[in-house]
Amino acid sequence: MDDDGTFPAEGFDEAGFDGDLLEEELREAAAVLDPVPPELRRVAMGAYALHDLDAEIAELTFDSLVDALPVRGVPQAPRMLTFRAGELTVDVEVTEEGLIGQVLPPQPARIEVLGGPQTAQPVAVDTLGRFTSDQTPAGPFALRLRTGGTVVVTEWLRA
Amino acid sequence: MRAGTLHSTAYDDVPYTRGGAVDRTEVGALVRSAVDGDAAAWKALVEGLSPLVWSVVRAHRLSDADAHEVFSTVWFRFAQHLGRLREPDKAGSWLASTARHECLKVLRGLTRLTLTDDPQVLDRASEERTPEQSLIDSEEQALQAERIRRLWQEFEALGERCRQLLRVLMASPPPSYLEVSSALGIAVGSIGPLRQRCLRRLRARMDARGAA
Repeated sequence: MDDDGTFPAEGFDEAGFDGDLLEEELREAAAVLDPVPPELRRVAMGAYALHDLDAEIAELTFDSLVDALPVRGVPQAPRMLTFRAGELTVDVEVTEEGLIGQVLPPQPARIEVLGGPQTAQPVAVDTLGRFTSDQTPAGPFALRLRTGGTVVVTEWLRA
Repeated sequence: MRAGTLHSTAYDDVPYTRGGAVDRTEVGALVRSAVDGDAAAWKALVEGLSPLVWSVVRAHRLSDADAHEVFSTVWFRFAQHLGRLREPDKAGSWLASTARHECLKVLRGLTRLTLTDDPQVLDRASEERTPEQSLIDSEEQALQAERIRRLWQEFEALGERCRQLLRVLMASPPPSYLEVSSALGIAVGSIGPLRQRCLRRLRARMDARGAA
């Protein structure tokens, strides 16, 4: 089951070995040598602003990184994502050049690429709900769609 | 929030608390308060659960850049799902599981594969002067720091499975076994025995080092 080779001498644990104490020492070591970086704690604090009960979530239902077989010899195959919220589907392709996508069923929409609590970049959408952006998201992103009277936000994802 | 141990004076920015910043039984209540707009509840969730998320990310040995992105993604998604969690009491497991899946995606994305042997952490543990060390003035603290450094080196040298498990277990406050299970995709029932085994192995390495 393991990659560590042999197990230490038998009877070791009968010699009053205190695993809890050692684990606590490790906890102290981690707090000193590998703590949560302060800037990341701030990011997590700021994430509260993304909590929005009014927006519907479009869940990730397909991710080529997980659901597709790797394409041999095509290391730069674009990432394909599908999000779904009720009847609404959003297909997205992430390439080196940016984003290409399609809202289904085809319909006009206003779409923004979110990069965090403070960042929203509108993208060009045609009347059939096809959209393009010439920027590949650097880091976590989500799409916010306004179509008809509803607001839909795709699940946050790392591009 | 801080337990006032000797560490908090030496490492001012380290939110280390022996007792735990968030009682796990309160997590559900905090989630519900945060949904209702209580920013202090969100802050408590971040304080209490971000070390767990960080531990999961670190257990998967992502590069610093990937680790930061996964950590952020997990918290963005948590905020997004906050009012819709099926089991608010298990928010820790939700976070651990989400972090794990994002880590695995990073590792699968071959074009972005940036596996690392954690050089930063090892370097930090072996450098002559670390920022942490410069804060240490008394001899007793220096000995303690030396001990921590040696422990960390032996921990890093453990086999991958033990290193992963212990990295998650050492989150502060200590994670529940359910959270550990979500973090690593191993059965709750196998965590206890594996933990004992890995801790014994680490102890043996420390002893061997002491005897050398």
